[in-house]
Amino acid sequence: MAPPKRPGSKSEKASKRRKKEEEEAAWRLEDDESTTEGEEASVPNAASRDAEKNDDKAQEDEFGAKDYRSQMILKPDNESRPLWVAPNGHIFLESFSPVYKHAHDFLIAISEPVSRPEHIHEYKLTAYSLYAAVSVGLQTGDIVEYLKRLSKTSVPEGIIEFIKLCTLSYGKVKLVLKHNKYFIESPHPEILQKLLKDPVIQECRLRRNIEGETEQDILTTQIQDKKAGLAFGTNAPGSSNEKSDDATVPDDITNFYEKMDNEEEEEDLNLQTVSFEVNQEKIEVIQKRCIELEYPLLAEYDFRNDTINPDINIDLRPSAVLRPYQEKSLRKMFGNGRARSGVIVLPCGAGKSLVGVTACCTVRKRALILCNSGVSVEQWKQQFKMWSTADDSMICRFTSEAKDKPMGCSILVTTYSMITHTQKRSWEAEQTMKWLQDQEWGIMVLDEVHTIPAKMFRRVLTIVQSHCKLGLTATLLREDDKIADLNFLIGPKLYEANWLELQKKGFIARVQCAEVWCPMTPEFYREYLLCKTSKKLLLYVMNPSKFMATQYLIRYHERRGDKTIVFSDNVFALKHYAIKMNKPYIYGPTSQSERIQILQNFKFNPKVNTIFVSKVADTSFDLPEANVLVQISSHGGSRRQEAQRLGRILRAKKGAIAEEYNAFFYTLVSQDTMEMNYSRKRQRFLVNQGYSYKVITKLAGMENEPELLYKTREEQGQLLQQVHYYLDFLRKYISFFFVGVGS
Amino acid sequence: MANNNGVGSSKQDNSSLVLHTNLECKNLYEYLKTQPQIVLERLYNHPAICLAVYRELPELARQYVIRILFVEQPVPQAVVASWGSQAFSKDHHYVTKILTELNVWIEDSLPGGLIGWMLSATFKRNLKSALLGGGKPWNMSSALEPDKNARDANFLDSYSSERWECVLHYMVGSQQQEGISADAVRILLHAGLMKRDEEDGSPVITRQGFQFLLLDRHAQVWHFLLQYLDTVQQRGLDLVECLTFLFQLSFSTLGKDYSTEGMSPGLLIFLQHLREFGLVYQRKRKAGRFYPTRLALNITSSHNKNIPVLEEDSPKGYIIVETNYRVYAYTDSNLQVALIALFTELMYRFPNLVVGVITRDSIRQALRGGITADQIIGYLKQHAHHQMLSGAIAVKNPLPPTVVDQIKLWELERNRLIYHEGVLYSQFLSQADFNVLKEYAQSNGVLIWCNKEKRTLVIQKNAHDDVKKFWKKYSKGS
Repeated sequence: MAPPKRPGSKSEKASKRRKKEEEEAAWRLEDDESTTEGEEASVPNAASRDAEKNDDKAQEDEFGAKDYRSQMILKPDNESRPLWVAPNGHIFLESFSPVYKHAHDFLIAISEPVSRPEHIHEYKLTAYSLYAAVSVGLQTGDIVEYLKRLSKTSVPEGIIEFIKLCTLSYGKVKLVLKHNKYFIESPHPEILQKLLKDPVIQECRLRRNIEGETEQDILTTQIQDKKAGLAFGTNAPGSSNEKSDDATVPDDITNFYEKMDNEEEEEDLNLQTVSFEVNQEKIEVIQKRCIELEYPLLAEYDFRNDTINPDINIDLRPSAVLRPYQEKSLRKMFGNGRARSGVIVLPCGAGKSLVGVTACCTVRKRALILCNSGVSVEQWKQQFKMWSTADDSMICRFTSEAKDKPMGCSILVTTYSMITHTQKRSWEAEQTMKWLQDQEWGIMVLDEVHTIPAKMFRRVLTIVQSHCKLGLTATLLREDDKIADLNFLIGPKLYEANWLELQKKGFIARVQCAEVWCPMTPEFYREYLLCKTSKKLLLYVMNPSKFMATQYLIRYHERRGDKTIVFSDNVFALKHYAIKMNKPYIYGPTSQSERIQILQNFKFNPKVNTIFVSKVADTSFDLPEANVLVQISSHGGSRRQEAQRLGRILRAKKGAIAEEYNAFFYTLVSQDTMEMNYSRKRQRFLVNQGYSYKVITKLAGMENEPELLYKTREEQGQLLQQVHYYLDFLRKYISFFFVGVGS
Repeated sequence: MANNNGVGSSKQDNSSLVLHTNLECKNLYEYLKTQPQIVLERLYNHPAICLAVYRELPELARQYVIRILFVEQPVPQAVVASWGSQAFSKDHHYVTKILTELNVWIEDSLPGGLIGWMLSATFKRNLKSALLGGGKPWNMSSALEPDKNARDANFLDSYSSERWECVLHYMVGSQQQEGISADAVRILLHAGLMKRDEEDGSPVITRQGFQFLLLDRHAQVWHFLLQYLDTVQQRGLDLVECLTFLFQLSFSTLGKDYSTEGMSPGLLIFLQHLREFGLVYQRKRKAGRFYPTRLALNITSSHNKNIPVLEEDSPKGYIIVETNYRVYAYTDSNLQVALIALFTELMYRFPNLVVGVITRDSIRQALRGGITADQIIGYLKQHAHHQMLSGAIAVKNPLPPTVVDQIKLWELERNRLIYHEGVLYSQFLSQADFNVLKEYAQSNGVLIWCNKEKRTLVIQKNAHDDVKKFWKKYSKGS
């Protein structure tokens, strides 16, 4: 007999897939945040290489899966090896494997984590991740070899090819500033020779004594003397590497791992490098040219040998204790005794600022901190005073409201918009800007680096000259995928922490995420179905069931003695909810002083347990007390916003270890509306970090709660009228309102 | 759901008006009780069957049988009832019913008018010989000279599972396997596990078929055989003969060979069918000997927990379900992959691993195919990888609770219509009449739906009489 027909034929599946892609494209459009097309980032060609393309030759099996069985051979001892490597660059890692620790450190260095839930983690090799790998000192051969050893199967040829292509030219050439001169440095003389043949680079080269010497001679050869190993303050107890029991680990893996480990540490001990000096004014030209030649320059700052810029007198306080992952990330940055530029990714609340402060204390040169709001400027100053010996005289804030005297200060804290401001400034600010531009900064710390558009970022880079740049973020993620540009504007990603692991070790709060389904009341739903898309949002945000659920949750958690933040992107809803429930609220137009007052009250006043905030509080509002978050309206399907908001309650909570969860994150969605889809999309990032969302279809106890607003039909009708009135108002005065609502 | 074929297996939620026919999985008792008395009587002519039936009886029933096995006259019913305590009278009634239905015992009146129980003569005779020995040798003789191509248990196991999987493969429609015989297809069609496609007439799997696939192997074989037996007579085979042979087979020894000598032509055809499904192994059709496989052993027993079962029946868990809806299955078996593909979207296939993801679409497709959320969850749970089982809570619920909830929610969202029975009122002569009735229904809270333009009302069914009365009174008055 011939095989019967399968239910759900392939073409159906294919069309479904296409539909999904279209959907995703639509998402991207919606999410596109402020980056305008047309400004092509200068990114080397190789970076556009994509291992996904290797997949074209993989056949689909009868179930619609990519069938890789013909491309790899299973090793007989596969059970003791932890990886599968797919020809499209995806890598799957068993977290329960005895070799997990080895493999995890290695994978995080060479690839991007895609998802890291409980049992099996997924990583992906990309051009950028490999760039980052070589820039922290891994060698092509070692990467391939170790990958082969860890893999349960043979590694597909295409992947080896891909690794070779991507690592061939990356990370080979460094731009080093030492003794106040800029050098192009490389351990590979042949590459320098090749670069020197380029006319543009020749132009930039600085020749001090030209007569009589051949090119060959001018390349200065030197043997680096290296003081390996830096210590960052006090180490947290228990950070020493315990030996895992290697009973079932194949020998070749352990041996190789140790070898690589040592190599990384001693990498430069006896390394012979060649270098030539370049003209300081031409730095930018040469950087750009090298990218075009596919040899992007890694910026390294030999801060110990910098004698022109004065040292600043700042140290970590003895009380500042680094956690193991903080130390690990800093090791990546200062791995060879110099400061590398790059990005460190830690979850919110996991102590990013301490990493920033420690980096500044290690470099001990003039430091510039950039953040994205006035409130976080204040918070950074606090952090510096808390963790380091810096005092008020050393720290200068430069914002529209606080302008300390900058001259002679060693740490300047300001905002991105302050620096890139193009309108006329006050005379005072003008002076500060001038001073700022004249300085040679030792280190620039870029807080919440994912939020700034590439264009703004480039402006910052042209204004400020700094030797090394450290980007800090919790979510290296942009809906428009422009995040890759950061790799070449700042530097590679140096470290990315595993959320679930930090949570398990108690460094961040254990959060229960929940999605609360609020049925639309019939009147609102009828209206929702009939009205135009632009008006739907207000209807599902103002859904009376949602209002009641919010009210119930707030009361419930106030009774427990929790501190609650309620987020609403929609300003009408924000004000309506807050005023009705008689709670303080913060949104765009709220003045700086009022904001600080409300936040202080939230922190210390036992009577203020709930505040309402708009999206201004998405990032860098540090509210260590808050442990409950209720989200009533949000920005479409932004995964980043979701993660950032979760970050507001992630700071590790004291006590309450007995409970399974010590923080709560509620997202209220109106059932059967677009919000459901948005919500699913938003959760994707956190779900990939190992979080799971519990769906609550009915809040237990809500029907017995007395005096909930909008419980009766009449009240609900009035609310609907108010919404109508507001919508009419919007339509009539639409031209006025476009300015106000956006905040 | 019905993965052990116990009594009263399929519990169906009858709350919704949309009823689906679910796969019914009968056990031996339920099967036999559907057979006419004559057939039962003929069956009891064989000690093997009597023993099998006896073994499958509830414990209390076995007590009764053994107590009166050697009693040569009817035992008064009151006496039998007095053997157990009053507290268990429910059990007593239950087992008396079973014993009667199976024709194991029959009502007989004692001298003096009392009604008593008496074991059926045939059953008694043959059970005695099964328990005590004696009587004719059972048909399947093993008086054979040693087979020079003897097969061991391992070989038979792999042979039987390969054959059986052929059938399952055929059902899920995987392409790479060899086909199965037209007879087998006919059984699948007859059993309602597959049906002819309306367009091209090729067999496609049904919702019962999906449910069948998610059963454990033992239950699958038993269910399949019952369906086969249903069609036995159409093939011109003798049902009793086949059943007898099957029972004898179930008492045979694994790894031993038996002779086909003395088997009737009908039985030989039956043997060939069993061979196709992997219940027996024959090197050649005319080999003159056959080996029963594990599939055939203890086939009639539903208490299969203590007997050694096939590798696939007590599988090493191979599925990992993650909180991000990923499914990782450690398998290279096409069948297992095909089963997982029923409700997941597969992405990658490695030599020993399949990567897939559970999506709303993939679950909905399965639901449309007739698989229930519980079956999916049950399957994932049953085959959960041992890594999922670490931790005290995890042993009972190895799956991430959010994924379980979500699968259930996806099922629920398909059943969001609430059905009300109602009566339609229409053709009102005037708007006023319509309004009066509407007002009345509304004020009593029995109005389900109304349309002013078309002057139609739907009123709750139980209020129909009341509304009708009101209407009569009203129209008389006006």
